[in-house]
Amino acid sequence: MKRFLITLLAMTVLISLVFVGCKKKEEAPAESQEVPTIRIVGKDFSPTDDINLQFLEKMAAGFEVYSGQKVNLELVQVPDGGYAEKLNLMLLGGDIPDMIYFQGGDEAVSKQGLLVDLKSYVDNSKVMQNVLQDFNKQRIANYPYLLWIAPPRARVALVREDWFKEAGGKIPVTVDDYYNLFKTIKKNHPDAFVMTDTGSPTRMDFTFDHAFGETATWIKQGGSYVYKKVSDAEKEKLAFYQKLYAEGLFDKDYVTTKWDTMEDKLYNNKVAMVFGTSGVVCDIYDTKLQTNQGVGLVALPPAKGVGQGYSVSTAKETRGWAISATSKNPDLVFQLLEFMATDEGQLLDRYGVEGVHYTVDNGKYTATDKKSEWWPRINEVMTYDGPMPLLGALGLKSWDFLGEYVVGDPDFPIPADMAPTWDALINLYKEYNFKIITGEYSIDKFDEFVKKWYDLGGDKITEYAQGMLK
Amino acid sequence: MKGNIQKRIIKDKQMYLLLFPVILFFAIWHYIPMWGARIAFQDVMYIGANKWAGLKHFQLLFSSPVFLKVFMNTIIISSMKMFLIFPLPIILAFMLNEVTSIGFRKSVQSVIYLPHFLSWVVIAGLFISLLASPEGAVNKVRIFFHLKPIAYMTSTTHIRWVFVFSEIWRSIGWDSILYIAAINSIAPALYEAATIDGATPFQQAMNITFPAIIPTIVTVFILNLGFFMNAGFDQVFNMMNDAVINHVDIIDTYVYRVGLMQGNYSLGTAAGLFKGIIGLILILSTDRLSRKLTGEGVW
Repeated sequence: MKRFLITLLAMTVLISLVFVGCKKKEEAPAESQEVPTIRIVGKDFSPTDDINLQFLEKMAAGFEVYSGQKVNLELVQVPDGGYAEKLNLMLLGGDIPDMIYFQGGDEAVSKQGLLVDLKSYVDNSKVMQNVLQDFNKQRIANYPYLLWIAPPRARVALVREDWFKEAGGKIPVTVDDYYNLFKTIKKNHPDAFVMTDTGSPTRMDFTFDHAFGETATWIKQGGSYVYKKVSDAEKEKLAFYQKLYAEGLFDKDYVTTKWDTMEDKLYNNKVAMVFGTSGVVCDIYDTKLQTNQGVGLVALPPAKGVGQGYSVSTAKETRGWAISATSKNPDLVFQLLEFMATDEGQLLDRYGVEGVHYTVDNGKYTATDKKSEWWPRINEVMTYDGPMPLLGALGLKSWDFLGEYVVGDPDFPIPADMAPTWDALINLYKEYNFKIITGEYSIDKFDEFVKKWYDLGGDKITEYAQGMLK
Repeated sequence: MKGNIQKRIIKDKQMYLLLFPVILFFAIWHYIPMWGARIAFQDVMYIGANKWAGLKHFQLLFSSPVFLKVFMNTIIISSMKMFLIFPLPIILAFMLNEVTSIGFRKSVQSVIYLPHFLSWVVIAGLFISLLASPEGAVNKVRIFFHLKPIAYMTSTTHIRWVFVFSEIWRSIGWDSILYIAAINSIAPALYEAATIDGATPFQQAMNITFPAIIPTIVTVFILNLGFFMNAGFDQVFNMMNDAVINHVDIIDTYVYRVGLMQGNYSLGTAAGLFKGIIGLILILSTDRLSRKLTGEGVW
């Protein structure tokens, strides 16, 4: 009987292997020799969405005008789920499109030589030299596989206008100014918290890091580089956050707050202030608060102290477009990326599909109701000035802050063999960070944390950092 | 022997035909993928053949400063769920069996099955709202009774109990289906005879119902042990936060962060294989133990 069952199982495995192998041979599209095809994979850029296909047609037509080259553009479907994870599985399965958008997980791919080095392309492109910002160029120099034309992602402090004006309406400059503003808002609205964050105070850090001296991920302390989270500056900052929490200024439930509940708290008078990604996100918060409470938001600059600014890593792009080394037309793919960074390409990418997202009447552009559903699929050139406003006043103000306060952070990626240790160090920090802020631990415990951090493997990574930052 | 098998196949051909798709299903989705587990011993290459890496990924997994902590968290959370939750669906099945009104019983059954169909994202949102401090419903009740509110979701002493309770809320009804079915298959004549002999409902439950469903209980328990190392990725991932991360981080969440998010599939597979081997050892040893103690096993 056992032998029979084994035979049956073996037969079944064999048959199923045959079935698996018998994938219907897909008929190769009758590819014209003159018209090359560029296969594109991007996040939320699915070929099942008709709007994306319409956009792709416009993109191909625009590219033909720009380069004189006809091209077939084809979108590749990524299986549902986490994009970075599914994309890597797709690539591992051998399906490697020409133009790939990464949002993490790219290092393992680039290390194996699967991505084209973009440095010389970028260096020789006038368009790219015009649209890329300094931090982008530094990132390309450090890691030449990802190209990401978009504003830096900094979180700007946004306070509701009526409560801000009620508290004097003076833009705070120093940490003390901020603290006094918070106290006055709390005094006027004792039932609300002044600010909240999402799980950890990382959004808030954008406003306060530099003021306390955390001007980069690795900062000089006593002649050598130390990780900012174990620096003296971090200790001072945590003591400040602890004070905010103890005085009811900082949301008691910040650690379980997600981005959606954070917004709810703002729109329902539970907090006066949130920290939003610069640009269109600020406008969205502003519009929603207008709808819910009939009042808008005011953007506040980063606090001034030891420094003043928003750190932007120059180590590498954390997301962006790459060209596959297996692509038959890498030059053409780059030219396509270049076209999408020109004014003509930006008109397509920033406004969407004519007739759907906007209309043009006698040269006058008017946004339709569907405009709010559109977002740039390829590039977002910060300096692009289109025929109708792309951002509201608050979004523009937040971009002004970027122009004024962005500071390059010469960070570096943690190597794969140190990843488990790094993960352990991050978790250790998270625990102490929460316990100190909420008052469960006194600020003196910070020294214990620093010792544990180094003992757990932080010393080796710090040593590695000295070499990297030379 | 051969002739016997052929005869049996011919005799029960419909049965074997019915069995065939099931075997095919397991072969395709459970046996063939096992071949992929070899990448635990390889460096995965996007182009060309994978490179042999030996035990490198296992060493990386076990050498992590937090692996022991993550492993212990997995064992603790799994044990709490396994041993505290396991008896509850059985008790529930017994209780439902005693309800005489069919309409009421069916209504209760329908209501308690429903949470099983909710995703952990929804359940996590629900529990975070219910247990928020001091705004959540549970803490409002505590405040009403002049008790101090508790921040359950950020308390290292309470969070694991939140996992257990939310798991009970989600699974108890669904898990009781098997036992209800087993109880329903008991011959009514046994209860009639016991009633005539003057047995109380409790005596009937202990002397008829319970012994009759022991094989089901044993089988379910042993099979559950196979999944012992699966402490519940979806649940932990959605309910975890910075305050409790070091107390609830399990192998699955660790592998997700360090392995999958960074495209290190070999590390993820090594962890999966490690979990699978522990599960297999647990199943085989419990089956053997159960055969010795009760005479019942899985096979």
